[in-house]
Amino acid sequence: MPTTSPARCPRCGHEHAPRPLCPSCGAIRSLPSDTDYFTVLGLPCHPVLDEAALSATYYALSRGLHPDLHETGTPEEQRASLTNTALLNRAYRTLRDPVSRGRYWLGMHGEALGKDNNRVPAKLAALVFDVQEKLAEARAAHSADGTDAPAELEAVRGALDVQVRGLRGELEANFSRWEEGTESPALLSELKRVLSELAYLGTLTRDVEKEVNQPWNA
Amino acid sequence: MERIVGIDLGTTNSLIASVDDTGPRVLADADTGQKIIPSIVCFLDNERVVVGREAGELARTQPLTTIRSVKRFMGVGMEHVGAEDRQRYRFVADATGPVRFAIHDRQVTPPEVSALILRALRDQAQAALGEDVHKAVVTVPAYFNDSQRQATKDSGRLAGLDVVRLLNEPTAAALAYGLNTKEEGLIAVYDFGGGTFDVSILRLHTGIFEVLATNGDTRLGGDDIDRCVAETFLLDGLSPEPRRDPHVLHAAVQVAERAKRELSAADETTLTLSVPDRGVAVSRRLTRSEMDAAVEETVTRTLAPCRQALADAGLQPDDIEEVVLVGGSTRMPLVRQRVGEFFGRTPLTDIDPDEVVAIGAVVQADTLSGRRRDMLLLDVVPLSLGIETMGGVMSHLIERNTTIPASVKEMFTTAVDDQTAVDVHVLQGERELVQDCRSLARFKIPIEAKPAGVPRVEVTFMIDANGILNVSASDLRTGIERSLEVKPSYGLTDDEVERLLEESIDFAEEDVEQRLLIEARVEADTVLHATQKALDENAEFLEEGEGERIAHAVRQLREAHAGEDYDAIRDLTEELSQITSPFAQRVMDASIQAALGDKRVSDL
Repeated sequence: MPTTSPARCPRCGHEHAPRPLCPSCGAIRSLPSDTDYFTVLGLPCHPVLDEAALSATYYALSRGLHPDLHETGTPEEQRASLTNTALLNRAYRTLRDPVSRGRYWLGMHGEALGKDNNRVPAKLAALVFDVQEKLAEARAAHSADGTDAPAELEAVRGALDVQVRGLRGELEANFSRWEEGTESPALLSELKRVLSELAYLGTLTRDVEKEVNQPWNA
Repeated sequence: MERIVGIDLGTTNSLIASVDDTGPRVLADADTGQKIIPSIVCFLDNERVVVGREAGELARTQPLTTIRSVKRFMGVGMEHVGAEDRQRYRFVADATGPVRFAIHDRQVTPPEVSALILRALRDQAQAALGEDVHKAVVTVPAYFNDSQRQATKDSGRLAGLDVVRLLNEPTAAALAYGLNTKEEGLIAVYDFGGGTFDVSILRLHTGIFEVLATNGDTRLGGDDIDRCVAETFLLDGLSPEPRRDPHVLHAAVQVAERAKRELSAADETTLTLSVPDRGVAVSRRLTRSEMDAAVEETVTRTLAPCRQALADAGLQPDDIEEVVLVGGSTRMPLVRQRVGEFFGRTPLTDIDPDEVVAIGAVVQADTLSGRRRDMLLLDVVPLSLGIETMGGVMSHLIERNTTIPASVKEMFTTAVDDQTAVDVHVLQGERELVQDCRSLARFKIPIEAKPAGVPRVEVTFMIDANGILNVSASDLRTGIERSLEVKPSYGLTDDEVERLLEESIDFAEEDVEQRLLIEARVEADTVLHATQKALDENAEFLEEGEGERIAHAVRQLREAHAGEDYDAIRDLTEELSQITSPFAQRVMDASIQAALGDKRVSDL
């Protein structure tokens, strides 16, 4: 787990957990670049987040940190504004999406998804096979006689969507169970399975979208 | 706080804006009252240049030394220059790095040309404001890559302007509209300019303008429509020789551009292309529906980026509550119709599409100068950034549509013992293979000689609020910051910028009016001479009453020729060309017939 040991504000001397802006005087201070994303946003380190509250926090912090509002500051302030905002943006981008948030959170617990991520998850084998086949057909049909296959591709995309929504539901459920204090190796491996499958479906969806967005299918 | 102006450095037109007590406004030329400075630079000789409307006039006689649409060449290399551009201008052929125009005895890079436009804008602003201007926010297409942005910053430096921020054009437009629209909502900005196309999807949230996704094409604009119209309706029937002639090309594109604008209001217009000294005379009617059919494909090309931007934002067209149109090309009814159909709603056009970007730029300048804090822009990087890895594959470090500033750290070590440097090749683009991405820069990380795998150097890639990449490195074993010498693939080196600053080109001091008068007379002489010659040799081709009409036009032109009004001379020259055009056509047809006839005779 990254450290969240208190730090002293150089301007007002107030001691507090590392935050991009001093909670007492609002001074901007450079966060260590390895500060974890939950700390950057001042949120509890937990996989379940209120997404509306997350956005509101992000906007509020941006209003204090963004380089556009420190253009007239000292070089030091400008530097801190730039690096903190970059860190804040990365934190927000990672945490707002449940899948990347889950993966980040697992990583914080030393449970990174394995390198075997590219292997087709067993449960998805049939779907993956079907999608790959449809994609190959669409490409072959186009190169053979210029036939467009938007309807078929849309159907594939719809099927993927359904699957992703289902898995996201499972993910939320697993997160909630974790919240209730049922931390077990079985739950952890279940979380990893769901996240792997979602990651795999993410790649597949991008492939299909690429094909759908080809000018001849658009 | 020193004043910061807002500049829209456009492909076709450029504008400069400032804020006064009444709010943001575009500054006009003190003498003429004109706000727009056409982005045209004419190099009279090795030392002197003319910028703007007058340069546009001079382009008729000096097409090879007059650069239009220089924005298309910013931050690119010769390998990105198309065949048409190669016909229109002369380039230094074997140049590596940035494109270099060969003009008179000089080599001129695109940032130098842009710098001359920036200087003209600054002069206009200084005259209007009565004070010196040193700082500016300059807008760029959202889809500009790192090289193109860097080139724009370089032109600021060359013009002696501190470019405090590069601002994306569609975002600037959203800011301008944000002044008087509602607080919450999802908006799309469709920006179809002279040479570039951008689309941005934004979420508005109590003064925060969050860009969700952007997409576009930096080589698609009104220029392409003009060329398409010129090709289809003017050049198509010509023989190969005049078709390739820069004078003819230039004139044809101008005629096409005027017709396009006329057809935004009218249903029908006349195309008249007359270049007497190249033996070219074409005259024909053109209806809006004919033009629309010809340019349909170009207009449709803008919709794929719209679809991609929406997909990246995770939205459907009907999620968008407001569509804002920016850029001169959005005046075309066909464009408005296609955009309206795509998003399923009537687009907003309240603010003049020519001025909206400059207004937005100065709104942002106001924020940067600390004078207003109610608006905040959260913009994104348009293209993914990565580095070359084994096997010529690009490894993404920062994905497209990531909010800027954005940073990422990468650890580098050595593969063999006693290696003293690691080479890094930085790329931008969405494709997998290095060869399909844009090369931004290369740099070497200096490393202490140690066994393989021992050194650990951490490189930070930071995309700043301008969308420009900065790299820094530190040695994790020693904690020492390492300096990196970054070689831009298509940019100017710092040394080159310094040298150019020393030998900067001066604006022409001679009276441009005088020059324009001389040129107008020369052109009139050419047409008068050609007309006289045709009348002497081919009077038999004249139709009833035509001789009298031509004689009248000749008399009028001769009268104007004796005066000083070059506009009048030019207009009357144009008129005479138009009147003689059908006659010239008949003479030419006959001579072709005769040539063919001769051939048959000789064949016998």
